[in-house]
Amino acid sequence: MALKSGLQMDESALIRAAQDGDHAAFEQLVRAYDQSVLRLAMNLLRSPEDANDVYQEAFLRVYRNLHSFRFDCSFHTWLYRIVTNLCLDQMRKRKVRKEEPTVLATAEGPLDRMDAVPEERVDGDPQRHLFSGQVRRRIREVLGELTPRERMVFELRHYQGLRLRRIGEVLGTTEEAAKNCLFRATQKMRAALGDFI
Amino acid sequence: MKDCKAVREQLALLLYGELSFDEEERIESHLDACVDCRAALKREKELHAAFDQYEATPSPSLLRDCREDLAIRLMEEAAVPRPAHDGWWDRLIDALTWRPTGALMRPVGALTLMAIGFGAARMLPASLSANAQFAGLVPGAARVRYVEPASDGKIQIVLDETRQRIVSGRLDDQQIKTLLLTAAKDPSDPGLRAETVDILNTRAQSADVRDALIYSVQRDQNAGVRMKALDGLKPYAQEPEVRAALTQVLLKDSNPGLRTQAIDLLTKGSSVDRQVIGTLQELMLRGEQQGYVRERCRRVLEAMNASLETY
Repeated sequence: MALKSGLQMDESALIRAAQDGDHAAFEQLVRAYDQSVLRLAMNLLRSPEDANDVYQEAFLRVYRNLHSFRFDCSFHTWLYRIVTNLCLDQMRKRKVRKEEPTVLATAEGPLDRMDAVPEERVDGDPQRHLFSGQVRRRIREVLGELTPRERMVFELRHYQGLRLRRIGEVLGTTEEAAKNCLFRATQKMRAALGDFI
Repeated sequence: MKDCKAVREQLALLLYGELSFDEEERIESHLDACVDCRAALKREKELHAAFDQYEATPSPSLLRDCREDLAIRLMEEAAVPRPAHDGWWDRLIDALTWRPTGALMRPVGALTLMAIGFGAARMLPASLSANAQFAGLVPGAARVRYVEPASDGKIQIVLDETRQRIVSGRLDDQQIKTLLLTAAKDPSDPGLRAETVDILNTRAQSADVRDALIYSVQRDQNAGVRMKALDGLKPYAQEPEVRAALTQVLLKDSNPGLRTQAIDLLTKGSSVDRQVIGTLQELMLRGEQQGYVRERCRRVLEAMNASLETY
């Protein structure tokens, strides 16, 4: 995401200013990216608390290590490496614990915390009403069955709109490996949901 | 049929635009001729649309909370002295210059204060109001203080209840100011203190506010809060009570950033009083441990042609 306002410094200048201790520049960098970072964490982890934890840790790491950023890659790629690593760690921990973090056991039966998460479309969108809770639950189950890497590649491609080449850079792998990962993810999802949709 | 299988496996990548030109051409030609695969493509698009609907968008309040939490953590981070191998010079300068600005450090606590008081809460769900004595009982907001069996077989329970209340007003409203002066000393919440001091800084011309800032700069446990209080006191650095506080910061504070700022403020202007020179000499004499502070003392004393270690 590039900074759009002509009044603002371009990104390289912002980064250099932040490296020189200009906290207003650092703040502008945070503001340029923090919404997409939070959206990524929230979509992957499906927990506001965990998403906030990732947000804090990611930008603190940026703050602590910005002086070592050498423009070998774009700032976006560097930041997303940090964020995706944090999210992958969290997802792997969950896999080990075999937790389903969004579903809570309550006296009234299972409660999906994500039902309380605001959705993107505005109220009154007729498409929204057609989208049943049953389909949402099935999608959640299928996404939960993907490996953390498959889930990550799918997230970055489908929701974040990153090209596979960039996804490879972010995840420290090749474009081809990212493509294979996305292929496997979509195959699994089609198999599980193809007849459902 | 073999082609159909291969084509359908590639449909997702086709929709994502991640196929090569040749692959895309091959699939498009097949789709032109194959009704079943066109139907499969339609289903694939519906699947993609379904995923779009599943996207979780963080609420504005979550984003706001994240930004506020980050502002506080950055402020605390900036206040922590860094080890020498981690670019200590830059970090030290950071600590000296770090001023979380209003945009990140949004003073949510500003004039919307959560005044917490004891008493019966009036915000009650209708379902709980059937029995008057339970009116206002908000589960989780009440703490059982005592329980005692009564002679009639009932149980008496003494509850401490708290409720949140929102009050708002301008900073020149004495009651608002009093609440802020109290919040500035709230030991439990450094974030609240930081936001409050930020607001009080805009009224440092008032003696009671200045007293609160002097208290904070000398006694607050959090270096970030102390630094903010120091900011508010800067315009009054020539006032005797502020100079006394700055001297205490210089002598006793553990944060080199704060101490260096205190030196700068105490030595600002063409003439520096002898007491300040004496304080700097005393620091040199007792072997000041913080290198940047020692260096700053030395430079100031040399600029004044004062001896480095003799009072």
